[in-house]
Amino acid sequence: MFRRFLPALLLVLAACGGTATEESAVPNANDRPGPSTTTTTVLTLGEDSVEQSAVDEDAGSEFAERTRPLGSALLTPLPEPAPQPIGLVVDSVGISSAPIVDVGVEPNGEMEIPGATEIGWYRYGSTPGESGSAVLAAHIAFNGTDGVFRDLDDVEVGNIVEVLYDDGSTSRFEITETAQYAKDELPVERIFAKDGDPVLTLITCGGDFNRSVRSYSDNVVAYAQPIDR
Amino acid sequence: MRKLISLLTAALLMAVLAVPASAQEEARIHLIHGIPDTPVDVVAGGEVVFGDFQFGDTQDLSALAGETLVGLQVRVAGTEDVAIDAGDTLLPASGNYSIIAHLNAEGVPTLGVFENDTSTIDAGEGRLIVRHTAQAPAVDVKANGAVAFADLTNPNSVQADLPVGTITAEVVPAGADEPVVIGPVDLPIEDGSALIVYAVGSLDAGSVTALTESISGLGTAPTAVNTGNSPVGTNVPVWAAGLGMLLLVAVVAGRRSVIEVRS
Repeated sequence: MFRRFLPALLLVLAACGGTATEESAVPNANDRPGPSTTTTTVLTLGEDSVEQSAVDEDAGSEFAERTRPLGSALLTPLPEPAPQPIGLVVDSVGISSAPIVDVGVEPNGEMEIPGATEIGWYRYGSTPGESGSAVLAAHIAFNGTDGVFRDLDDVEVGNIVEVLYDDGSTSRFEITETAQYAKDELPVERIFAKDGDPVLTLITCGGDFNRSVRSYSDNVVAYAQPIDR
Repeated sequence: MRKLISLLTAALLMAVLAVPASAQEEARIHLIHGIPDTPVDVVAGGEVVFGDFQFGDTQDLSALAGETLVGLQVRVAGTEDVAIDAGDTLLPASGNYSIIAHLNAEGVPTLGVFENDTSTIDAGEGRLIVRHTAQAPAVDVKANGAVAFADLTNPNSVQADLPVGTITAEVVPAGADEPVVIGPVDLPIEDGSALIVYAVGSLDAGSVTALTESISGLGTAPTAVNTGNSPVGTNVPVWAAGLGMLLLVAVVAGRRSVIEVRS
């Protein structure tokens, strides 16, 4: 049933004989009749006309070169889960081992953010140090209390960031770029990238505080790359 | 073989309808060898293009989208024995497809063509797609002990978007708890990825097992990061604020204890 609705492999009946595939159980390429280019017929449902297309008979040799092996689809045991980040140190702005908790998304699609004293690690993204962007977000100020990332906008390129993991290990990162974006211009595709070079992305709010909507105008972001790894 | 041809012809008719000539988006076409214990040669244009293709091997044919593979055959490796004769075969010009050489329900080698659902997946979820491509009757697929997909038959496909995590899957005969045909096996449900699991092999030969492929990049990033609902204070560090709170608590507690002594 499923297959009937599939835009599937298009069988093209050779103009020189639609039964060729049935009759030649063990066909030999050398027996192939005709010139190096033959015409095939693509059946088109609901139309009387047929589409003609030229086929290069030398496609076979080219065929292998233009495809690539992707390895085996055999099941493999799941890898051990990667250690999770549990703490962050950024000495240059007074963050001495702030706790990290894992967070997801709010029902409205925004990233979930913990309270003022904790940093949220986006659990659906990368782990710090692994491919893609590992996102750590924390408040600048929450319910009247300054947040862990109160001074993130003071972070400078070259500052060192340390991440502590639940297996007791630590990894070090170096700030390579800082940026401030209007909220509606936040490059979420970059910030939440799952692939590419490992980057640790620290993010909070900044710019002007709008009291009527209790929100900041901007996001402050610091990007860091792993070192001594 | 006549059945296969008519099947493929029917597929062609549907395909022409579904894929207009104007559709030129980037295609993704993977070819998977899903027949255990049978190394094969894939033949096109009169020559072996993948020799000794092993069970589980996957080949990316995306670069050939929209082109015709002349006289496509799957032969038992190193022989002239044709296992699957697909004839001149036009690959879809666009879209996301998996083509798997597998056994049909009766155990006859065939080429199965599946279009993969690459629609956007909500943040925090992954897609699980299960396909029955084994010589076996109808099955139920259990996830974490409960039937998730019931009465799945060859060559059909079922799917669901599930919360991120690991599920333990088992394949059992439809309506029964045992024997377990595949599994239990742990499957990763990853954010924004589709995991495709093929039940392959022959029940009669005792070779039923699973193959997998995955498609990433279907996810949804958070739309915003709102990290502040109050103005910043007078630059009092968090630890100092915490210390202040402690002192306050101590003072209050101290007063209470004094009152208690007096009473």
